[in-house]
Amino acid sequence: MSRFLSTDFRAGKRKGIQLNKMQQSIKNNSWIELTARWILGITFIYASLHKIISPADFAKIVYGYDLFPEMFINLIAIVIPFLELVTGFALIIGLYPRSAAIIINILLLFFITVLAINLIRGHEFDCGCFSAGQSGYTSSSEVTLVRDVIYFILGMQIVLFEGHRRSCFGRPAPRHQ
Amino acid sequence: MVIRKTIKEIIILVGVSVALALAVNTLSPRGIALVGQWDIAAGVITARPAGDSAGQPKEIDSVARAKTLFDKGDVLFVDARSQNHYGNGHIPGAVSLPVGQFEERIGSFLNHYPPEQPIVTYCSGRTCEDSHELARFLLDVGFTNVQVFIDGFPGWEAQGYPIE
Repeated sequence: MSRFLSTDFRAGKRKGIQLNKMQQSIKNNSWIELTARWILGITFIYASLHKIISPADFAKIVYGYDLFPEMFINLIAIVIPFLELVTGFALIIGLYPRSAAIIINILLLFFITVLAINLIRGHEFDCGCFSAGQSGYTSSSEVTLVRDVIYFILGMQIVLFEGHRRSCFGRPAPRHQ
Repeated sequence: MVIRKTIKEIIILVGVSVALALAVNTLSPRGIALVGQWDIAAGVITARPAGDSAGQPKEIDSVARAKTLFDKGDVLFVDARSQNHYGNGHIPGAVSLPVGQFEERIGSFLNHYPPEQPIVTYCSGRTCEDSHELARFLLDVGFTNVQVFIDGFPGWEAQGYPIE
């Protein structure tokens, strides 16, 4: 009996190590890193465009979360889309990729918190306007929340990645990998 | 050190974003003011355009005044909300002219009403700017007497005034 237990125990331990190895190889896989950068980059650039084109509509959405002081609503609506655009672009061309991913993850944590607070307190804002329906904000808070968590995990891979990043701006690719 | 390098890079990226954001917002015709009007008690909430607010339609900011105009009977109420909202209830006698379908609908509207027709537009109250946009459109196509009832249908309904 004790033998079985000890074998099980050792097997479990080995499995644990293998899992760690797997996590390691995901973390340091440069193809996954490149894919994550492109997915986040394209997503963030795309998401920024609606908001840049109509800042007034985005400001109303920021107002609708009912969490920010009136003074800062417009500033948030003006600056956040450009943070998304610039960091998204930086990720794609590989300029300061880790720093860009850190900013994106801070943004994502901010979005996740805002969405979670409003889901928990059951706050939903409907201005009854045309503009809100036309700006492409159609998915529910739940879906957006799950999506943001997935983006956050992708962002973590980019932040934690140690090794040579593929196709980065201003840095020649190494001869052999 | 890595941390110092990262902090420096973050400052650069954030700095570029903020500079770009302010520059584009200043130059863009769709730019907004740095501080908006987000106090419901003070009127309709709006991000406020960056430029001056000349050419804004006149506002009716009390439900009682809207009711007085309604009782006079010569004013045409125009509902800026969607057909759906209009169907679910509107101010009696109001005409539906959804601001999102203005171009398709304005032709027949012009055929029915002369430019001097007194008009009051409304939508879903103070969180909604559609009635303002509709009023500007109507002024643009030549109507001379257009006002906005800013408390809109919810304000009207809350007073217990008749709806249909």
